[in-house]
Amino acid sequence: MASEAVAVQNLVKRFGRFVAVDQISFSVQKGEIFGFLGPNGAGKSTTIRMLCGIITPTSGAGHVAGLDIFTQSEEIKHNIGYMSQKFSLYEDMTPFENIRFYLGIYSVPPEKWKERTHWVLEMTRLENAKHRLTRELPPGWRQRLALGCALLHEPQILFLDEPTSGVDPITRRHFWAFIRQLTTTGVTVFVTTHYMDEAQHCDRVVMINEGKIVVSGPPSRIVQDMFPDRTDADLNDVFIQLMTRNRS
Amino acid sequence: MNWIRVRELVRKEFIQLFRDKKNRPLLIVAPLVQLILFGYVVTTDVRDITVGLLDLSRTPESRMLIDAIGGNKTFRITEVTERPVDMDQLLLMRKVNLGVKIPPDFSVKIRKGQTAEVQILADGSMSNMAAVRISYMFTVLEQFNNQVIRELHPVKMSYGKADDRIRTWYNPNLDSRNFYVPGIVAFLIMLLVMLLTSMAIIREKESGTMEQLMVTPLKPLELILGKTIPFILIAQAQMIIVTIFAVFWFDIPLVGSISLLLVATCLFLLSTLGIGLFISTISTTQQQAMMTTFFFILPFFMLSGFVFPVANMPKIVQWLTYLNPLKYFLIIIRGVFLKGTGLGSLWPQFAGLLILGLIVFWGSVNLFRKRLD
Amino acid sequence: MNLIKIQAISRKEYYHLIRDFRSLYLAFIIPLLLIFLFGYALSLDVDNIQVVVVDHDQTDLSRDLIQKIGASSYFHVIGQVADDRIASRYLDDGMASVAIILASGWTANIRADRESQVQILIDGSDPNFAGITRSYLTAFMLRYNQNQLLDFLNRKGMEPIHPPVEGRIRVWFNEDLESRNFIVPGIIAIIIMIVGAMLTSLVVAREYENGTMETIRSLPVPAAEFLIGKAIPYFIIGLIDVLVSILMGQLLFGVVMKSSFWLMILASSLYLGVALSLGLLISSVTKSQLVANQIAVLITYLPSLLLSNFVFPVENMPGILQLVTLIVPATYFIDILNGLYLRNLGLSALWPSYVILTIMCGALSVLNLIVLKREGL
Repeated sequence: MASEAVAVQNLVKRFGRFVAVDQISFSVQKGEIFGFLGPNGAGKSTTIRMLCGIITPTSGAGHVAGLDIFTQSEEIKHNIGYMSQKFSLYEDMTPFENIRFYLGIYSVPPEKWKERTHWVLEMTRLENAKHRLTRELPPGWRQRLALGCALLHEPQILFLDEPTSGVDPITRRHFWAFIRQLTTTGVTVFVTTHYMDEAQHCDRVVMINEGKIVVSGPPSRIVQDMFPDRTDADLNDVFIQLMTRNRS
Repeated sequence: MNWIRVRELVRKEFIQLFRDKKNRPLLIVAPLVQLILFGYVVTTDVRDITVGLLDLSRTPESRMLIDAIGGNKTFRITEVTERPVDMDQLLLMRKVNLGVKIPPDFSVKIRKGQTAEVQILADGSMSNMAAVRISYMFTVLEQFNNQVIRELHPVKMSYGKADDRIRTWYNPNLDSRNFYVPGIVAFLIMLLVMLLTSMAIIREKESGTMEQLMVTPLKPLELILGKTIPFILIAQAQMIIVTIFAVFWFDIPLVGSISLLLVATCLFLLSTLGIGLFISTISTTQQQAMMTTFFFILPFFMLSGFVFPVANMPKIVQWLTYLNPLKYFLIIIRGVFLKGTGLGSLWPQFAGLLILGLIVFWGSVNLFRKRLD
Repeated sequence: MNLIKIQAISRKEYYHLIRDFRSLYLAFIIPLLLIFLFGYALSLDVDNIQVVVVDHDQTDLSRDLIQKIGASSYFHVIGQVADDRIASRYLDDGMASVAIILASGWTANIRADRESQVQILIDGSDPNFAGITRSYLTAFMLRYNQNQLLDFLNRKGMEPIHPPVEGRIRVWFNEDLESRNFIVPGIIAIIIMIVGAMLTSLVVAREYENGTMETIRSLPVPAAEFLIGKAIPYFIIGLIDVLVSILMGQLLFGVVMKSSFWLMILASSLYLGVALSLGLLISSVTKSQLVANQIAVLITYLPSLLLSNFVFPVENMPGILQLVTLIVPATYFIDILNGLYLRNLGLSALWPSYVILTIMCGALSVLNLIVLKREGL
């Protein structure tokens, strides 16, 4: 239990009559990179939002960082970092100003501000651009900044919602290398994506379609279970197979 | 309640507000421009009434009347016509405010001791102005009458005359500027605060950063404070600038207590911010926020006694004005500026502002919190 | 001029509006609100002036004066009080606007052919009101005194004397002297500015902020088609608002147009054109919705309200401002409105204003095209 960073049981979210998330259960170990895969509209964003305390689940149970998602959602927020699809940064402010803002919002002790600011600028390699307006930065840099802002309060768990959309392959590679390195410090990373090939980077994945989990486990084992005879199969093939199977 | 979080929000808000170069001058220039406009434009004083003359009599008596009119400082004879049709044209083209038609039998009738009729033609387009101009003309006619009677009957004039001493309280010179300019301060604050507050929150929603904020430990109350405090500060600053300008440029008297004014501004801001918050909660786009702000501002402005007197309104509407924070604020402002009244007389208005402000603000905060979920 | 392209842009704008239900709904509600406010609730006319009287004298002559005041259509005596201080409290609290105080011995003086004082106090807080009240009171007292004088002369045994001059008033244009008759039509000018300029001032800025302007620039859409396409939906809304306003003004408040309806539509269309081009220009230049909105209020709404000879007479303003009113489009439209509603004039008299509006519309559109072309459209 204590080694689980995230655990949910029978989580349900209904919007009116539409069931976005239908009785899903899974757990994430500390320090692992966990992938939440599925097509658009499958319920990935809804799930991540429930875990982050943005929306309240309709029913079920769960805990994040040892805290109950129904009753302790406020405390959870202190322990997590979140990066959304849109890298929600303040475009009309500089990286420096954005960092400072989030430092304050996360109640990072003032004595640590200088050090944390330096850390973020280092890690994002934005030291020379720290006084340029965010909207003038290329998307890759903005992604790094959003990531930095999600980490500056040293959270235990990092939630990333479609983090590599619209980003070039080189930046993507750097991104995953950074994530991997992050987990060695004990941070758990929870990623949603619809890029199946990126899911190779995850330790374990869960595939979700129409609100339900269709398969879970380490990526390589999933591929092998589905296509024991093929050596060139990958998660993309698994995905297509599962989705078409569902349809029929 | 973490004040550092609030502080950072406030700082962010200021950065964003002042970063857009076009916004900066607007915050200072806009209020001042409006102050000047209202200060010089909004006046319903009647001076310089233009008169067109048609003298069909051309006798010493008619000239006496013309001199009486022309000699009066309020009137200015700008046109003299020979024919009735020319007079009609003058009025039709709005070249004069009043037309005076002296009939051919004018002096004959007067000398016979009968009553001569003088036609006064008034441009009724602006009826309130017309009413006053007509009144003034009547006054001149009556004065003329007295003069003629005195000349015709030079008797020792001591008769039971009612000597009227008309005194005007509070605004002895009836300087309408004194009346309107302090009100501008109130109106400007209301407009800008409502607009900026609602737009600030909506922009957060539109750009997606609102979602980011919701993931942080930021509490709804802290968010609200962070979003409203900048505008409270800006509003107070604008009020001070505008007041200084009003007092030194327009010579508006400021008789009462300035601290009372600042307290009243804070109370007034409770309602204004509350409404701005409400607008941001029910709107999803900036366009909606702007239109909705306008929709609220208009009746608040019109039904506050700023330009149109509350006493003139139908009874039901008068009751409605009790819900208008601007009304109370205006009374306080005018009281402090012009009459120097203190809390003793003004406490009902302060109470009104406080009650309204608390209800509106508390209601809006609750609605905002609920919507956040 | 490619109509299909224009149509496509209009349709897109139309979808925006329909989906942004609240903005659309407000575009219709705000005019209705204004008409209602100005037709029903707001008036600048002064009648029914509340008067409180302190009669220390209490004789038939003092009562006669009081009765004469009450008989006047302007004044309404709400009551008598015993004390001067109570009367001034009435003024302070706003229960009365005028206090009239007659000292004891008032009648005695009059009967003895001596001057006798009447104290009149007016609440000057509202200068419009106080000014009018004062002029009414002055005229009333003059007439009262004149009757006293004539009465005196007649008593002294002379032949009956008549007042030499009597003024006969004829009011032109707004015969019943109701402020509603000039305010309600004038509101149409404000409405058009709100819908035509303020609403559209956000339109192009929105595209810039959303980033969709980039896309549009890459499309084969010339600036002229873009502008016209954007303007059309708002033009239609504006025209509907005008029609509703005219109708409501007439049905609810009896404010009727004396002159031609079609001239009104023509003028409204021209003025709408000016408003639209102004709004779109602001939008194209500022590229920020927040800034556009504030500027729109400053240069479209406020001048139409204040500097157009709508309620506040231009002739009273300092020279510089009078010059400024010459470039305010509302000035010309208000002049046309006044001509059509009150003066029953036609094109032969009003053509200068029509021409100026047309020129303004043209000039603003050209400016707009220049700005857009510079941005790469």
